[in-house]
Amino acid sequence: MAEHDALLQCRVCGCLSHASTQLKRFEVMHCPRCGARVKLAQQSNSVEVTWALLIAAAILYIPANMLPIMSVYMLGAGQPDTIITGAYHLLEAGQWPLALIVFVASIVVPLLKLFTLSFLLISIQRRSRWRQHDRMRLYRITEYVGRWSMVDVFVIAILTGLVQFGNLARVDANLGSLSFAAVVVLTMFAARTLDEHLIWDITRQEESHT
Amino acid sequence: MLVSAEPIACHDCGQLHRYSPLAPGKTANCTRCGAVLYRNRPDMLDSVLALTLAGLVLFVLTNVFPLLGLRAQGAEQELHLLGASLAFWDQGYPLLAGLIILNIIIFPLFELLTVLVVVLTIRYRWRSSTAIFLFRWMSEFKPWGMLEVFMLGVLVAVVKLGDLATLIVGTAFWSFAGLILTMAAATALLDPFSVWRALGKNNG
Ligand SMILES: [Zn+2]
Repeated sequence: MAEHDALLQCRVCGCLSHASTQLKRFEVMHCPRCGARVKLAQQSNSVEVTWALLIAAAILYIPANMLPIMSVYMLGAGQPDTIITGAYHLLEAGQWPLALIVFVASIVVPLLKLFTLSFLLISIQRRSRWRQHDRMRLYRITEYVGRWSMVDVFVIAILTGLVQFGNLARVDANLGSLSFAAVVVLTMFAARTLDEHLIWDITRQEESHT
Repeated sequence: MLVSAEPIACHDCGQLHRYSPLAPGKTANCTRCGAVLYRNRPDMLDSVLALTLAGLVLFVLTNVFPLLGLRAQGAEQELHLLGASLAFWDQGYPLLAGLIILNIIIFPLFELLTVLVVVLTIRYRWRSSTAIFLFRWMSEFKPWGMLEVFMLGVLVAVVKLGDLATLIVGTAFWSFAGLILTMAAATALLDPFSVWRALGKNNG
């Protein structure tokens, strides 16, 4: 279909509009319906921006797991917990469903997100035609699941807000929680900036040539 | 009228289709990737309006009443939704406090008010520039509203604290659960394609 070349789709509202042919390299077009910026395919820097966000997230993933995220003090005595020791304490206390939630949301999901987004970016850069439907599904799952990693940050907020009994019992937040939240935010931004239409671009170009 | 031949593209894969009116209750799917293109739900506006008004009432209740209470050796402590959002502030992490207040108060409220304005605009054929502006930013911010994630956090915290002290589950806990359900139902019912199409028409 020749129309692919002439029509641009707004990523926000889905409105189709005609690309002006005189658009210069750094010029932007606005969607006629919702006003969002519409970029030409060849102007897209989605791959580079997503890589930058992913690398930043991967670096912060290290302090997020090494540094303590919170400290629980009971009768003046207590110790700081990292994500993994926190999950381990839950397991020791026999609360394995909770330990599983914390383990999956805080360790497995961020790690899987880093790997799947890198995999999708590499396959896009290699112009792969391999299993486009499955890669699209993988992208949708990754995008949806990412926000659930915030659960541990919320737990810390609730515990520090509720357990403040001076020397009797107290929960304090630690620096690891900040790095961890930064990892979640960065990977969420990375999933948003990755232009999923690039997965289909190679087929689309072939279709328009035949 | 060219409306029946209006070209539309799949939101997921970009495949082009022609819009054609659907029978009530039917859904149109993309021929290439199978994603939902648009739906025809005759009473969509009324149901979404009712759910949003209920959601706003529940939102107020959730913010007014305490979420959780803790009793330990005579001392008592209560936690409101705002308190939970700002807990990191007192600990010296203002950025985190800001992030959480956006996640569980600002964005959900913004979403409720936007849907209200959008539904009223379509229903009473108001000028749609405000609704278009709001709906656009709502779609962009959608993943940052995290009510259901916060609810899971509350449940984890409740079980964690269970054997530490006596825990009181507050009124806001239940209105919060109701708020999540009404917002999820409103999101499931609201068809973005139909909304954009209706808003686009009022504009011109
Ligand atoms: Zn648009």
